Amino acid sequence: MKPDVDEHHRRPAAFRLDDPNVVVTAEAGQARLARGTVRVMPEPEPSLPAAAPALTLSREPGREWERRRGFPWGPLFWSALGGLAALGIGVSVTRLIEDLFGRNEGLGWLGTVLAAVAGFAFLAIVLREALGLWRLAGIEKLRERGAQTLLSDDRTAGRAVVRDVLALSRRTPRLARARTTLEGHLDEIIDGADLVRLAERELMEPLDRDARRIVSDAAKRVSVVTAVSPRAALDMLFVLATAFSLVRRLAYLYGGRPGTLGLIRLMREVIAHLVLTGGMAAGDSLIQQVVGHGIAAKVSVRLGEGVLNGLLTARLGLAAIEVTRPLQFAALPPPTLGDVAGNLVRGHKAGAEVAPAGNP
Amino acid sequence: MPYAFTDILADARLAARALVEFGQHVLNPTIRLGVTGLSRSGKTVFLTALVHGLMQGGRFPVFEPLATGRIARTRLAPQPDDAVPRFDYEAHVRALVEERRWPESTDRISELRLVIDYQSKRGVTRSLTLDIVDYPGEWLLDLPLLTRSYPQWSAESLELSRHGPRAELAAPWHDYLATLDPLGPQDEQAALRSAALFTHYLKACRDERYAMSLLPPGRFLMPGDLAGSPALTFSPLKWPLGGTPQADAPPAGSLAAMMRRRYEAYKDVVVRPFFQEHFARLDRQIILVDALAAFNAGPDAVRDLEGALAAVLECFRMGRRTWTSALFRPRVDRILFAATKADHLHHASHERLEAILGRMTERAAERARGAGAPIDVVALSAVRATRETRVRRGREDLPCIIGVPAAGEVVGGEVFDGTTEAAMFPGDLPADPEEMFGAMPKFRGLANAAPQEADYRFLRLRPPKLEQVDGVAMLPHIRLDRALQFLIGDRMP
Repeated sequence: MKPDVDEHHRRPAAFRLDDPNVVVTAEAGQARLARGTVRVMPEPEPSLPAAAPALTLSREPGREWERRRGFPWGPLFWSALGGLAALGIGVSVTRLIEDLFGRNEGLGWLGTVLAAVAGFAFLAIVLREALGLWRLAGIEKLRERGAQTLLSDDRTAGRAVVRDVLALSRRTPRLARARTTLEGHLDEIIDGADLVRLAERELMEPLDRDARRIVSDAAKRVSVVTAVSPRAALDMLFVLATAFSLVRRLAYLYGGRPGTLGLIRLMREVIAHLVLTGGMAAGDSLIQQVVGHGIAAKVSVRLGEGVLNGLLTARLGLAAIEVTRPLQFAALPPPTLGDVAGNLVRGHKAGAEVAPAGNP
Repeated sequence: MPYAFTDILADARLAARALVEFGQHVLNPTIRLGVTGLSRSGKTVFLTALVHGLMQGGRFPVFEPLATGRIARTRLAPQPDDAVPRFDYEAHVRALVEERRWPESTDRISELRLVIDYQSKRGVTRSLTLDIVDYPGEWLLDLPLLTRSYPQWSAESLELSRHGPRAELAAPWHDYLATLDPLGPQDEQAALRSAALFTHYLKACRDERYAMSLLPPGRFLMPGDLAGSPALTFSPLKWPLGGTPQADAPPAGSLAAMMRRRYEAYKDVVVRPFFQEHFARLDRQIILVDALAAFNAGPDAVRDLEGALAAVLECFRMGRRTWTSALFRPRVDRILFAATKADHLHHASHERLEAILGRMTERAAERARGAGAPIDVVALSAVRATRETRVRRGREDLPCIIGVPAAGEVVGGEVFDGTTEAAMFPGDLPADPEEMFGAMPKFRGLANAAPQEADYRFLRLRPPKLEQVDGVAMLPHIRLDRALQFLIGDRMP
């Protein structure tokens, strides 16, 4: 509820703007006005009173860990071990530098500088990782808030969500025009759910198209490499590498810039998501999968394995899209397996020379 | 209600027409959009803004097909019914933009057909035909008569006229009725006089002070070319015969028999054709409600409005669209309740306005939901005439709107001339919608208190001054795009 609507009933009133006792000012100026003067302050349509607290709340990092129950023995163990290792490294480095100084002063200084540079770089890396994790948590929170707004239709919450999505997409130059359009609409009287859908349509649509292409390319690459690679171990490695790079590219595309730790965490979430949803794939895709695999397997065993790996990669990509996208699929259709892996099955039947269908 | 032979015949005719139209619609998808609303609820302005926005590509961010640029163009097409006048959209826009006055109130039916050329999301070029119909809101009140016999209607009308502020207004008519003998010989002069007094009472109820809504029959208020004909020369009588009204008929040649015949004639000549032509064939329905006028007048007016809406909504056939329904029995498959003139309130109060309207249409909404028709409630303003502001007076901080009150509007002894801007605070809507329906404590309106005592004051405002872009004026609005998205967005895949 709005805090500005009191419980007691206020009488209707009207003020002529040309009345000498009525002052129209742009903002709540500090100058005291004479008694009995009425001040009219036109609003920059419409105002946003409760957005700021919601914003800071959502940006708070590390809230994720508060959910765990019980004493965190695991983290304690790892932190202690990490501390020991850091101490060990510190001691050995100090000893090394002392040794170097013992041999030659110039060598000692060189060692000191190198150690300082390494320390500085390490600090930067830690900072970047933390930032990545923090941003990831922010996106997750944002998605949750977006989903809530779709249900509650709360205007203030919707506006805050859209502002955050805008801030997130600030680094994507392709969306400049869409951003301007959306910012223009922010000042209008549009309800929360509509606003979130509008933001999704404006900002996510071009990204979704790219995401589909990225997943589809990765799936194709995996299937071709699996089909032609001489060793099973080799293509296992390749599939793993592709999966990581796929998740990473999708995360970058949707505005999250996870570091290494962030990527690992993201990967974990993707796999969790896959276990939840992907295992029980919906009708059409399952049939496609089985039929596609069957046909390809008839042609050649290796080809069949290629298609299977490609489909798995595609499925992983779909899960990754769901996890990395800052807004839920509501106004736009979510990509299906057919979208990203349809050409895989067809492509293999027609032959591998089919041009990569990536340019929309 | 006995299922009369005429009703079966009418249904058969409807089914036949639906079959023919179904054939046409397969080739050329058409939506008949019913814009329903009692008089002064802003139907004409809504339609004008809708047509203008679609034709000129208005600022409709929530209406997805237009916002994403899928709509190639919207054009006017010749309307399907040759006997119905055209909705004079150009003149209405001129009145709004150039003369800065609202279009005149509608006194006859009119129609317009829009064809929207668009591309589906898969890239197929298609077109959607939108038929819109404008008619006087008074006529809408006739629809409930279709299910009522003359004795039932008489009893209901008399009962209604004895309560609240109506009793005082209906007194002369009641006095005259007391002198009539329903079983006496038929008397043209008596019928004329009682019809005149009855009409006078209905008109008085419509005054801004009372803002009553449930005032059938509608042609008494807006007679058109039927003025003075026998079909409009009747009034309710104290039904003399007691017992079940349908069982016994008055003797032939009596006043009661004559009145009953004329009532039936009114239904046959006026109501049934109107229903058949325009209401039985709708696909989508928006119901415009001017709740603010009722808030001005008081709790009686609010309850009256509720009754009127319930009566009107009974007449719609709602339900999910299926193959068989599309073939034989057209149904309304989406309903939007819109509280118009939302620009008279600060946007912080819009949710409360929606809650009150939702409470008002609860029963109809439940029925629609039961039948599987999605419904929604929205506070909208087809042409937004205000901007928002905050006013600080002493310690008070009031969320206000700025607009130009129409000439002759009065607040607190101040008479507006129609050119002065004013900041207005219309009063706080209650958080609990129940308070508007006369729950304790009653709120005060024009009907039950002095004007300076009233709890709400919504002034009539002039249309806004518009800036023109390339010679085309854009009409500002509130949530018109959301209404459009709900009503036709899903039919443009």
